Amino acid sequence: MQQAIPCNGGRTWFAQTAASNGVVHMAVNDRPSVDGPSTSSSSSDAGGGGGGGGMVRLVAENPVLVVGRRGCCMCHVVKRLLLGLGVNPAVFEVAEDAEAALVAELAEIAAAAGGVQQQVLFPAVFIGGRLVGGLDRLMAVHISGDLVPILKEAGALWL
Amino acid sequence: MSQGQAGASHVISSPNSMSSASAQFATSRRIGIYEPNRQISMWGDSFKADSSQNTGASTIVEADAKHDNRLGDIPLESPGPSKKYDQEANKPADKVLRRLAQNREAARKSRLRKKAYVQQLESSRLKLSQLEQELEHAKQQGVYVGGHLGDSSLGLSGTVNSGVAAFEMEYGHWVEEQNRQTGELRAALQAHVSDIELRMLVESGMSHYDNLFHIKAIAAKSDVFYLMSGMWKTPAERFFLWIGGFRPSELLKVLSPQLEPLTEQQVVAVCNLQQSSQQAEDALSQGMDKLQQTLAETLTSDPLGASGVATYMGQMANAMGKLEGLVNFVNQADHLRQQTLQQMYKILTTRQAARGLLVLGDYFQRLRALSSLWTARPHEPA
Repeated sequence: MQQAIPCNGGRTWFAQTAASNGVVHMAVNDRPSVDGPSTSSSSSDAGGGGGGGGMVRLVAENPVLVVGRRGCCMCHVVKRLLLGLGVNPAVFEVAEDAEAALVAELAEIAAAAGGVQQQVLFPAVFIGGRLVGGLDRLMAVHISGDLVPILKEAGALWL
Repeated sequence: MSQGQAGASHVISSPNSMSSASAQFATSRRIGIYEPNRQISMWGDSFKADSSQNTGASTIVEADAKHDNRLGDIPLESPGPSKKYDQEANKPADKVLRRLAQNREAARKSRLRKKAYVQQLESSRLKLSQLEQELEHAKQQGVYVGGHLGDSSLGLSGTVNSGVAAFEMEYGHWVEEQNRQTGELRAALQAHVSDIELRMLVESGMSHYDNLFHIKAIAAKSDVFYLMSGMWKTPAERFFLWIGGFRPSELLKVLSPQLEPLTEQQVVAVCNLQQSSQQAEDALSQGMDKLQQTLAETLTSDPLGASGVATYMGQMANAMGKLEGLVNFVNQADHLRQQTLQQMYKILTTRQAARGLLVLGDYFQRLRALSSLWTARPHEPA
């Protein structure tokens, strides 16, 4: 299990809760910084606040990472599909006002990892550190039979 | 029904008990004195034919049977006795008076009925021209009414969205083209044409399905609930509806047995495809369930309204956002359908793909035919 990762600015940090079904959920919490005045209550700093630190680690350390809006049903579809294949995906849920910054950050990460250049849309699926894409991309990859091999390669499946 | 005599009032026949006898009384008012015998035979006939005659008429028919020769002499309007009439003394005078009164009464009623009927006709005509105007006006605004609504009760009632109307029209054309292509494929396979020609037909067929998903995507933005209702499909097709269209795995089950012989590799690939599409379908279905659940949760808080109007409005706004998510579901479902078809195209040879498209086209044709039979079946109205 991962430890909580404080961002550089100390303004926000990620707390991790493991749900009983094995899916690892991460939610963004607003905390006042230890050494400075507390920031505004909006969580707009969430994604970009700490620079690459948090998200880069999440992408790198989880074989499968799903980034989606809180309460989004499409995110649920992605989760169910992966669970149905026997995968335990890590899920990162973002609040609406933190989205824009997070998208930018994820785009950077995706570009750095190489692969197909594409727009980051939620829910976004990372497998083996690379951005696979949104739900339709995931479906297409699954239908063409390429999803399971990719998952095995990333170490998310062992059969 | 009018007797067509000169000067006769033109009485329009009506399905009520305005019997021919009473109709003839109106005419007889003018011409009775000139054609007494004809009158009586007509009365007599109508008396036999029309079982719903009013008593006035029958009385008068009976009465007149006795006085047929004298009828011509009696001016019906005036009760004044003629010289022949005098011979009958008081008893016939009473009868005559009564008859005259009944005659007048019947004629008056007849006139009133005619008036009512004509008024009804005129108001209907007015209404009709109003409707025609509305229709013209609506057409100019790009609203299409009627057409392929099938057995839906939409008709002129309800709000007909122009996006929906456009889709219905385009879908109608799509089906026609589909049927044409299916026929072409059938003929080509029976005639054993070359693979090159088949390939062209197969590619047309595949891009035709792409067209369907394209127009559906546009319609989904316009009215997702309409698309999800499947009202644009025939009843039997609707039975198989899954998120606004056909279920890919079901389609594969229809298709696979018809494609034999397949190589080992193909069999495995088709099997895998069936499994993958089933898994994707399950994930989408579960997403839909989640959407239902969260929507219900959004709407079921605070029935007493204690939280105030602002909260209510907030909940509604929230719920609206959720409903818009349905568009995504339909799009994803259509995307899955498209991907499944394309994967089959990759797995199969050209000839097999042609056969596959024929099987699909034929299957849908049969479903539509079944729907027509079902709609037209004789049954007791509820």
